[in-house]
Amino acid sequence: MDKYEKLLDMIMDFDETVRFAAVTDENGSILWNSQRTGLKNIVPVSETKQTILRALDAWKENSGFKKYLGSGLYTVASYEKIKRITVPLDNGKMLFCSISNEPLKSAISKKKSYGHLADMGKILSIVDFIKSQK
Amino acid sequence: MGRYEKVLNMLMDYDESIRLAIISNTSGDILWNSKRSTTNLQVPIAETKKALKRESEDWIDRCKAADRIALGAPLYHITSFEKTKRVTLPLDAFHLLFLSVDNTPMKNTKKKSYGKMVEMGKILSIVDFVNTFE
Repeated sequence: MDKYEKLLDMIMDFDETVRFAAVTDENGSILWNSQRTGLKNIVPVSETKQTILRALDAWKENSGFKKYLGSGLYTVASYEKIKRITVPLDNGKMLFCSISNEPLKSAISKKKSYGHLADMGKILSIVDFIKSQK
Repeated sequence: MGRYEKVLNMLMDYDESIRLAIISNTSGDILWNSKRSTTNLQVPIAETKKALKRESEDWIDRCKAADRIALGAPLYHITSFEKTKRVTLPLDAFHLLFLSVDNTPMKNTKKKSYGKMVEMGKILSIVDFVNTFE
């Protein structure tokens, strides 16, 4: 199994709210992807591809800030229903995840919820573990 | 005091790790800003202006995407670097909030840290509160 397939498996296993995960190359082509069974796509694939291209462009621009802010770690774009996460990988590759952002049931009755937390520390530690593999 | 200045004041008071807060228009022009007096700018203002323009364009795309697809309202976007998190969110149809937040790991962190959490729920509730004022 390629290490990036392993990355997708680990991300999907770690958190059931991850709906879709993909690894792209530097041109935005999806090299590997994993979709949670039983879930329908909220976003058409063509839209996801556009989002991926825009995210890759943004990461290219962000590389200019490295001397001021350190390396880029991740982005999170949060909508009411989903969060979209990108993480730069080696050689221009990028991890893209779509995560459910529906408020947890226990939060609904209390005060207004803006969705639930994406455990970025855990996701980044999985990415670092995979990067360390040959 | 206008509501936009109020939102900047409330955000700066709420969290000391917010270094710079800016409200821009949809073209990325800075309309109001507040910088913490005890910190120096990490990024030259010219570079920040470029980033704001880029973010404004991305937000227009995100809002259009949310109109086309059932993602729900767009809430916020975070770009995390080793030293800083950049947070953007639409205040209304014409204004964007940009925050630069310190991301240096806390001193008592034992294992590898990817920085500090930004409490987006609190930030969004401040924005919602201020938006109730006309």
